[in-house]
Amino acid sequence: MSAQKLAMVIDSARCIDCKGCLAACKQANHVSRGTWRNWVKEAAPPVENGPGGSRKLGRGHFQPGACMHCDEPTCVAACPTGATYKNAADGTVVIDPRLCIGCGNCIAACPYGARFRDPEKRIADKCDYCPERRAAGLSPACVDTCPTRARVFGDINDPDSDAAKLLAANQGKVVRIIARQKDTRPNMYYIASTAPQGWTVQPADPLSFDFLAGVVAPAVRWAVGLSGLGVLVMLGRQLMAGAGPAAGPGQEKKEDGHE
Amino acid sequence: MSSDIRRHDKSDILMHWFNAGCWLVLLVSGLGLIKNERLNPLGAWLPDALRSLFGGGSAGGAALLVLHEAAGVVWVLGLAWYLAVNARGARFFLREVFSVRPGDFAWLARKMGRMTLGVGGELPPQGYYNMGQKAFAQASVLGGAAIALTGLVLLLSAKVLPASATGLVGWAVTLHYLAVGLVFAGLLVHIYMAAVSPEERPGLRSMFTGHVPEDYARHHHGLWLDALEKDALENSAQDKDGPGAGENG
Ligand code: HEM
Repeated sequence: MSAQKLAMVIDSARCIDCKGCLAACKQANHVSRGTWRNWVKEAAPPVENGPGGSRKLGRGHFQPGACMHCDEPTCVAACPTGATYKNAADGTVVIDPRLCIGCGNCIAACPYGARFRDPEKRIADKCDYCPERRAAGLSPACVDTCPTRARVFGDINDPDSDAAKLLAANQGKVVRIIARQKDTRPNMYYIASTAPQGWTVQPADPLSFDFLAGVVAPAVRWAVGLSGLGVLVMLGRQLMAGAGPAAGPGQEKKEDGHE
Repeated sequence: MSSDIRRHDKSDILMHWFNAGCWLVLLVSGLGLIKNERLNPLGAWLPDALRSLFGGGSAGGAALLVLHEAAGVVWVLGLAWYLAVNARGARFFLREVFSVRPGDFAWLARKMGRMTLGVGGELPPQGYYNMGQKAFAQASVLGGAAIALTGLVLLLSAKVLPASATGLVGWAVTLHYLAVGLVFAGLLVHIYMAAVSPEERPGLRSMFTGHVPEDYARHHHGLWLDALEKDALENSAQDKDGPGAGENG
């Protein structure tokens, strides 16, 4: 387990869908045009039956989100180069842009759709909890800008952090959003309730990656193993023949019986 | 000592060792670029160790990627140079390597039996290359082409390709791994036969000097020597018929 565990605790009932977090994130991280590192999902208010056959709107719900920096990240498992990995010091899921080759495996592997291929940098991109701002002692831009403090950020391994305190105060009422077939153990915690639900997707590896990992890699291991074994056997025979009386040129003559 | 026969041109020799050097650099740096629990050929310690030589962690990986990409470009430029200066040699090589004669498979099966288990019948005579060399050369040519093409896709991926190309990039990774893996499996045998096995010592020497002793050529590549002698006879006959005719190289 990482020393720190940076996480976001979200009281989504406080969210007023102002989209300040989206704008602040884009501005702070120079996110390319047409792409977003975070989002606010909304559950439209249901139409309910009122007294005397009248109808009225129920309560809608806004749900802010972004990369959930999971403890069992399917994106990391799908990355062939280790360009995306779990940071051991703070628990964040990081992309090293220098090592990313833009293969796109991680994009399909994320059940939250948190990743996209940056159209300008041509590599994977997503929320990184604003490392530059954190280094300067600031919160991530989306947290700092939130007017209702719906997003609370901190190290939940540190009981004195705002995020840990909020979690402790709401014990038993904390909700996580997980994909139906796969709990990636996300580090984004929602208080009391959240909606919409069921928007996550089943994390999937591209066929090219499953074929590589499931067929090509074992086949190559077998081919290299067999070939290596053959070389060892030939070397063994060579050394044994070398130790015997009929060494060297004698054997060469024997091998060439085809004149 | 019998007279020596020319087997490799200077550019052939240069190309072979240049290619081998590039393979060494590309293979080692490439092994350092794979880091995934389902793909690591020998475990995560290998990429970790290689990355630690270049600063460690993903930064070390990034340095290896730069090295790998640069070496790949140099390798392809070297191949292009060879094709430019010795197109004739390249054509001869390809023709020899891809022409499989009757008896070649019997040769391969018997040779493998003799080298490993010590059983196997008479070896049918072989040409400029024996079937083992041909099989490996075919793998290197086809594998090399696949490696260069998929490598180009990977090189361009994060530089010019659009997001819609990720499917192509994913398959390029898969094919790149496959082609390198299969050529590498053959390479183990190639290096053993060429550099370790005592029978092929004159062949190894020829990869430096360009020449092999005549008796070695007769024993190992009898059909090649027959063809050379036939050519020489025809040439001298033509020379008697009329001077100036029948020059070839
Ligand atoms: C330590 C490394 C290597 C050694 C000692 C070595 C040695 C040799 C020698 C002595 C020959 C000449 C055989 C003959 O003409 O009789 C040869 C040929 C050849 N080498 Fe290598 N080689 C090495 C690495 C490589 C690599 C990395 C490749 C390509 C992946 C390669 C590809 C070839 C091919 C295609 C031929 C011609 C066909 C054949 O002889 O099989 N070699 N090598």
